[in-house]
Amino acid sequence: MMYWSELAWLIPIIPLISFVVVGFLGNKAFKRIENGGYFAILMAAVACFLSLMVAFEILTGGYPGGTFIQSMNWMTVPGFTFNMGIYIDTLTALMLIVVSFISTLVVIYSVGYMHEEGEKKRRYYAEISLFICAMLGLVLSSNFLQMFIFWEIVGLCSYLLIGFWNTKPSAASAAKKAFLVTRIGDIMFMLGLFIFFVGFQGNLDFSYIFNNVDAFLGGNDLLTLGTFFIFGGAIGKSAQFPLHDWLPDAMEGPTTVSALIHAATMVKAGVYLVARTYPVMVETPNTMLIIAIIGGITALMAATMALNNPNIKRVLAYSTISQLGYMFLALGTGGYLFFHTQETNAGFMSGMFHLMNHAFFKALLFLSAGAVIHAVHTEDMRLMGGLSKKLKITSLVMLIGCISIAGIPPLSGFWSKDEILAVVFETGAENPLFYVLYIMGILTAFMTAFYMFRLWYMTFAGEPRDHHVYDHAHESPKVMWVPLAILAALAFGSGFALFFGFSEAIQPTMFHPHAETWTQILEIVFTDVLTYLSIIAAVLGIFLAYLMYRKRSINPDVFVATPARRKIYGLLLARYGFTAAYDWIGLKVVYGVAKAVDWFDRKVIDGIVNGFAIVTIKVGNIVRRGQTGFVQSYAALVVAGVSIIVILLFLFGGVI
Amino acid sequence: MIAIEYFIGLSAILFIIGAVGVLTRKSAIVVLMCIELMLNAANINFVAFSAYSGNMNGMVFALVSIAIAAAEVAVGLAIVLNLYKARDTIGLDEVNLLRW
Repeated sequence: MMYWSELAWLIPIIPLISFVVVGFLGNKAFKRIENGGYFAILMAAVACFLSLMVAFEILTGGYPGGTFIQSMNWMTVPGFTFNMGIYIDTLTALMLIVVSFISTLVVIYSVGYMHEEGEKKRRYYAEISLFICAMLGLVLSSNFLQMFIFWEIVGLCSYLLIGFWNTKPSAASAAKKAFLVTRIGDIMFMLGLFIFFVGFQGNLDFSYIFNNVDAFLGGNDLLTLGTFFIFGGAIGKSAQFPLHDWLPDAMEGPTTVSALIHAATMVKAGVYLVARTYPVMVETPNTMLIIAIIGGITALMAATMALNNPNIKRVLAYSTISQLGYMFLALGTGGYLFFHTQETNAGFMSGMFHLMNHAFFKALLFLSAGAVIHAVHTEDMRLMGGLSKKLKITSLVMLIGCISIAGIPPLSGFWSKDEILAVVFETGAENPLFYVLYIMGILTAFMTAFYMFRLWYMTFAGEPRDHHVYDHAHESPKVMWVPLAILAALAFGSGFALFFGFSEAIQPTMFHPHAETWTQILEIVFTDVLTYLSIIAAVLGIFLAYLMYRKRSINPDVFVATPARRKIYGLLLARYGFTAAYDWIGLKVVYGVAKAVDWFDRKVIDGIVNGFAIVTIKVGNIVRRGQTGFVQSYAALVVAGVSIIVILLFLFGGVI
Repeated sequence: MIAIEYFIGLSAILFIIGAVGVLTRKSAIVVLMCIELMLNAANINFVAFSAYSGNMNGMVFALVSIAIAAAEVAVGLAIVLNLYKARDTIGLDEVNLLRW
């Protein structure tokens, strides 16, 4: 019998074909068909179809054993073997759905959004195809090394696409910043791999490691260090505190790129990495605690930064960071709780659930923001306003996205966020620190609702603030709003997956998941006081935004009324000084170290080499005076030398 | 028969005169002549030892040596002539380009 999973190796190959064809076959061949856009769509759609079939097969248990593993030798070195392969379990299946589906929609949307870019479009479609290939390859990887390779390729694609408008200095420097900051995480990931490589005796296959966590050599401390470094990779890629600062800058790229790479897929790679390593991670509660704390801090901090930013894309970027923080909070909390109670909990599931929901509603929000930017040609929300009359569809789908992310039932964001907060509160019984994290989570939920509706009201509601901008606004073409409508439907409904066995399907096998009917789930959710607490937080946030930006009964200027408030306001806009701190570290610390190393190189290393040369020259200068050029003095030396030899032979040679 | 010591003494005196001349004279011609003296000192030794040992190889070697000395003088005088053409002198103390 043939399984769809056996075709899984084709999934990354197909977008790769698109990359090669669009990227290397010249402008002329694709001039008529959007410079390769339609070809990229076709290939993305084929990959999406395959991914959905594979995911369906795995999620419904169509493949015997539940986990599809296929691998071949890539490199054999005495002592260990590196493999290349495919590893598909339910987690992979979930990622396949999210990545391939959103990729396809974004590429379709790009046809409208990037229409005016001319020949540069070919580069765009080639790079985005390469990204889709690498991202699908990343989720399908069967071992850490292969995953790391794809991890680096998505980083490269991110760099290329952030810097798509490479003639713009801000875009070029943002691309460099993204690349360099994530590089810090990548190095930690690599250190983690080294530790795993040593600890697991040279075998980095998931199927081996997950079943032989106990076989780790080097003890628990080394394992904790290893998992921490693996999480370090996730910090960089998923823009967690303190390496979060590249993501807002990454908004310099096209909005489609922000939607696909910096909201829905690549930044989820970090979450996926932690989730993928979960069987190892749960053995190290300290790492789990760190993950939860960093997730909580990031969620709260990024949410505060989103509160007053005037740039529509930056707000969404901070929101992405904040929601990623939620996911790490969920994963960390779930693992910590599991380690201490050895009982099934919703931490892992809710994290991945939030990942899926967030991918849908954040892609929707970004693409809607893209439609707005496309219509008004500015990203500054202070110039927008009243656009709902012009952009009816966009404003409606964006409203759905906003309600969803704010966490109002029954939209998708509510279900996952509520599950996360419930788990965090539950873990508070094990460690009171989690109560603090819970409060941070609730605050974040409140702020999320506030800044999302602030964004919506500033953009779409009220009176137009800039009539020039308003008059030129127009609804986006069909090729743009159809993907938006599909995403809106998903942002509305993806939360209902909870009622169709999402929980049991996604739980790691060690959790021994047990099925609950949808009535049970509803009962659990809505008989909990905490649920109402998070709903109230969200409603309050929305209400505050309504008062401030719609009804205007509270003047937003109260926040800059006194010097102290203005200081806080400025601090948020300055991203808590992280940008300045990065620059300071770069300029002072790194440059200082570089200068010291340069000095050492010049003075010490070069000094030794030059010293040899100088000494040789000096000695030569002295010795060369012996060469007088008088033939008779040479002859005298020869005679003297021969005489000495003869005398010595007479004295010691025994000649006589 | 004359004792061999006389021959050896003569050749030693000739050799030392030649060597001192080579080392001290300024004129290239005189230096060449002194080299001839040293060669002839060696020839005297060849012939003397040959006569005393009864082996004729030494005699033959003396003849070869004389032939080579003639060739050497030809080359040497050619060098001296060229030197004179080029530098207007044959004083060895003025020919010192090959130095630091």
